[in-house]
Amino acid sequence: MTNQDVNEDFVLLTGTSNPPLAKEIGTLLKTEVFEPISIFSDGEIRVKIPHNMRRRHVYIIQPTSGPVNNHIMELLLMIDAAKRGSASEVIAILPYFGYSRQDRKEVARVPISASLIASAIEHAGADRILTVDIHSEQQEGFVRIPWDNLYGSYSLIPVLKEKNLSNLIVASPDKGGMKRATGYARLLGASGLALVYKERDIDITNASEALGMMGDVRDKDVLLVDDMIDTGGTLINAAGYLKKNGARNIIAAVTHGLFSGSALEKISNSIIEEFFVTDTIMQRVDVVKNKKVTIVPIAQLIAEAISRTETGESISHDLIL
Amino acid sequence: MKIFSGSANKPLAQKLATSFNLQLSETEIHVFPDGEKRVRILDTVVDEACIVLQPTSPPVEANYMELFFIVDAIKRSGASQIIVVMPYVGYQRQDHVFRSGEAVSLDVVIKTLEANGASAFLAFDFHSIKTIELFKIPVVHVSALPLFADVIQKEGWANEESVLVSPDMGGIRRIKLISEILLGMPYVAIEKNRDLATGSVAAEIIHGAIEEKKRAFIVDDMISSGKTINVAARLLEQKGIEEIFVFATHPVFSDDAPEILEKSNAKKIFVTDTIAIPKEKQFPKLTVISIADEVAKQVRSTLS
Repeated sequence: MTNQDVNEDFVLLTGTSNPPLAKEIGTLLKTEVFEPISIFSDGEIRVKIPHNMRRRHVYIIQPTSGPVNNHIMELLLMIDAAKRGSASEVIAILPYFGYSRQDRKEVARVPISASLIASAIEHAGADRILTVDIHSEQQEGFVRIPWDNLYGSYSLIPVLKEKNLSNLIVASPDKGGMKRATGYARLLGASGLALVYKERDIDITNASEALGMMGDVRDKDVLLVDDMIDTGGTLINAAGYLKKNGARNIIAAVTHGLFSGSALEKISNSIIEEFFVTDTIMQRVDVVKNKKVTIVPIAQLIAEAISRTETGESISHDLIL
Repeated sequence: MKIFSGSANKPLAQKLATSFNLQLSETEIHVFPDGEKRVRILDTVVDEACIVLQPTSPPVEANYMELFFIVDAIKRSGASQIIVVMPYVGYQRQDHVFRSGEAVSLDVVIKTLEANGASAFLAFDFHSIKTIELFKIPVVHVSALPLFADVIQKEGWANEESVLVSPDMGGIRRIKLISEILLGMPYVAIEKNRDLATGSVAAEIIHGAIEEKKRAFIVDDMISSGKTINVAARLLEQKGIEEIFVFATHPVFSDDAPEILEKSNAKKIFVTDTIAIPKEKQFPKLTVISIADEVAKQVRSTLS
């Protein structure tokens, strides 16, 4: 590149999981994005970074969505290659962190898979980790290196505000999401909160149907918020339960769109009227084209975080809402 | 002691357990709709030595990840030591930086294992003997060559009509070793030239004497596409060899390797079970020799 405006102070890399996001970030930061991944004839992943990294900060953008194992390995190999290429600092950016739900031993004799992955990232040579809406923030303690976690609300809130929602209740589809719901309620000036929870202990035989709730949603518009949508079961069941309890319009905002199995079809057929999701995970064409779904770009948030990491400005000051 | 297995080669793990008169400890592996795996070990392992068997053959990434999780689960459950038995090691060809900007992929996976509970490592026939230097934990590097020499002796092939053949110049070390075991059986090496444009193998020169030999044993560490073996066998036949046998430790068998090998003019292909061979990749000329007893022997001496 010969353009004088091009920023060469740091290097941006992307794996194969979400190159469009990386390129958008590159455009915002006026920096070229390199794609160093290819495949050997025997199917093994190959990395070759075609750029000088000596004494530079190297940012690797790789959400570890599915195929999760391949995307994790790509990330680890890119970190290793950057380190060996004499990068002064290697920053692993995981807009979506695969395996982050396996963050504890919920039964005996299981791994803490999220910890294992974080450890692998650290030992491969990363100096810093950056995530968006990690499933539980305690995971930052899995490693000894700095770990900044940003929130998708930074990008989602302005879009939701444009809808001029009034008389709004923000609801969480499970107990663990109440903190997030509280944050959204504050930022949107909502009139209240609601929580839908599973009553597994009461009726084990029909767990997904046995829901309970706190809060009053009668004749109110409801915004359901969550960190991710996987198969969609939790979110859609919660929406149904809110409706049964008198909610008027129900919309949903989610940071990570996994859309596993028939999730998209389920949303299309559900009572959720609008569905907002960021592009931390590269979305399939059928998701992008779906009339209920609005994809909200996350690039600005990550670009801003990179630029502040370069200047040493605070990230928490106004990036973390 | 407890023996665990990932999903890459359960039959071998089963045989290994039998060698120890043990039951294979159960490992639950659940795959979620999004493709993430959830591993759970069922036996208690407190203060026990544990063996985890998992070759990291394709799908390499999934097999490595599964192994990491099993080791993590065992470590967190209080095992006294964990011996990772990885008969075939994926990523071993990327064991140094060939060109600047590359990763040392093997180092990445080794560091992950070492940092998360592995206390010793056992592997068969590394592509390069320098690979061992990447490890900080003890490595037991085992060769399948004695097993192959056994076959040659038992079949009565160890006579003056036979010659050992390395299908490329890089296999000289290997071919010398098996020649030693077979009391100095003569050996030759083929100089393999690759067509740089197409990548196809075109063998040309044989270094060493094969005149008056009737039987040749091609020995290699692994068979991937089968093309190297096929070209070598054809060349040997042109030089007047009547019977060709192939011995290779790792049956990687990518693409249409089984078909190429079956159609080749080799009479029999001997491999080991370092990698499980699915039914659709088995073929009449193939004979599989088990490494289970050899692994058991090595593990015993590592533990004592």
